[in-house]
Amino acid sequence: MTKKLSFRMILGLVLLVIITAAALFAPWIAPFSPTQTTTAVLAEPSLEHFLGTDQLGRDVFSRIIWGTRVSLQVGAAAAVVAVLIGAPIGLIAGFFRGRIDFFLVQVIDIFIALPGLVLALIITAMLGPSVVNLSITLGVVTAPTVARLVRGQVFVVRETLFVEAARATGASSSWIIRKHIMPNTMRVVWAQFAINVSLAIFTSASLSYLGLGVPPPNPDWGGMVRDGSMFLPIRPVLSLAPGFAVALTVFTFYLIGSSMNDAD
Amino acid sequence: MLALIASRIAVMIPNVIILTFLLFAATTQFLGTPAAIMLGEDASPETVAELNAQLGFDAPLLVRYWDWISGALSGEFGRSYSTQQPVSEMIADALPLTLELAVWAILIAFIGAALVNSVTFLKSLVEKLVAGVSVIGITVPNFFLGLLLIYIFSVQFRLLPTTGWSDWSDGVGKHLMHMILPALTLTTFYFSSFSLVYKAEYKSVENNLFVRAARSKGLSESRISYRHILPNSILPLITYAGLSLGQLVGGAVVTETVFSMPGMGRLLVNAISARDFPVMLAVGMVIIVGVMLLNLLADLAYSLINPMVRTAG
Repeated sequence: MTKKLSFRMILGLVLLVIITAAALFAPWIAPFSPTQTTTAVLAEPSLEHFLGTDQLGRDVFSRIIWGTRVSLQVGAAAAVVAVLIGAPIGLIAGFFRGRIDFFLVQVIDIFIALPGLVLALIITAMLGPSVVNLSITLGVVTAPTVARLVRGQVFVVRETLFVEAARATGASSSWIIRKHIMPNTMRVVWAQFAINVSLAIFTSASLSYLGLGVPPPNPDWGGMVRDGSMFLPIRPVLSLAPGFAVALTVFTFYLIGSSMNDAD
Repeated sequence: MLALIASRIAVMIPNVIILTFLLFAATTQFLGTPAAIMLGEDASPETVAELNAQLGFDAPLLVRYWDWISGALSGEFGRSYSTQQPVSEMIADALPLTLELAVWAILIAFIGAALVNSVTFLKSLVEKLVAGVSVIGITVPNFFLGLLLIYIFSVQFRLLPTTGWSDWSDGVGKHLMHMILPALTLTTFYFSSFSLVYKAEYKSVENNLFVRAARSKGLSESRISYRHILPNSILPLITYAGLSLGQLVGGAVVTETVFSMPGMGRLLVNAISARDFPVMLAVGMVIIVGVMLLNLLADLAYSLINPMVRTAG
């Protein structure tokens, strides 16, 4: 484990620490309440309000800091759901092959081909908007990518000599899966986990922007961009600052995931 | 070839049936009956039941699905609950705009990725630029990129119209001016992924003997790149572009909302907020069938291009 960390990985980890700290210590970092409305509406950025205030007089900087919590919660929960659904499917398809594989690949391919955002729109409309429903929906929608990836990796590991040796000594399928296949696919799964977090944050912000994601009055980045975009000509910071927060968070997880993939 | 097309269509039809059934069951079972929503909470159960019967919502699920799908196949999607307009008319109004936006986005990404990634001068600088744009394309959500472009080009420099839509009939120039920013917003992501696909193929083609032959003839590097390597590297990109068109609908929904364009995306978002079932179902159906058809076309295009798949299939 003396592998040298790449610059991309270090940058990603530093950003991750900053973002996680913002989420954990939001009550201490944010100077104002994220939901308390005041009469100082649409104030310009100043020393008191770094990024000004929105149309209801709420401090934009504080709302962005608090918004980190919802974003990370939805992103992480969705990625967990995606792995819990996708990894077993990929494992079964890749290990047992044959008809099961054919059938599962059909299902996976269909769901990968359908636009994830539209699927998520319809499912959240069905379940009703809430943070929990949003996480489950995004997890389900992104699960097929995990399944396909795990299946591909299992295909490779399954053909290695040590698996063949284990089979020759009479090891059972479940033993081989537990002792050989799973440990050797974990790395890919972790990299995809990070990518899925970024994908879920991206999509949940888009849903909130469309007005069908995180319900108000939760401080949520996508919703802030939506509300702020009406004031784009006079107060661009209202919509551009939370938009930048989304992009930065998505970038962070994408960087970590992709540099984990490049490392080998 | 005919056998291949037939077998692909044979797989596609059950898929479309299953997916549309899931869509129908999901929208109509989970959201509550439209009568309950339309009449509000104060309505008595009798009036709700009466309206349900009137709308055909008292029949079993399979019967209702059959009624809907047989109507949909003949282009009859019913009337919108909120505007009372025939849904087929609403789709006919919105679909061309979304298709045009999608085609522009794919075309720009396709041509851009192939041309820019074949550049032979200032190669390292161009590669860094492509990597930069690619990171933006993958990590910056459409709504943020769209707003950023509006702010830069429309608010600050006043070069382009902010939002809204102008039909072809208002003049080609005006129409295209309204199309530039949405197309740019949507194309960035596809430029990134197309670049990856194209660059990988380009690198493997570069090692071929005919490239070495061209080089030993003394052809210029740019001529080798654009005349010899590019045409031979573009095939995987064609398939990939076909597959991407389906995914592009998701981006189009957001982009249309940012630029307030009256396309399929806005139709879907409005229908979902208003619980307008006929419109939701129709848009969902169009998307499912569209994605399946595009995948089929991409599949066929690929087998036309690659004879090995053709004989095997």
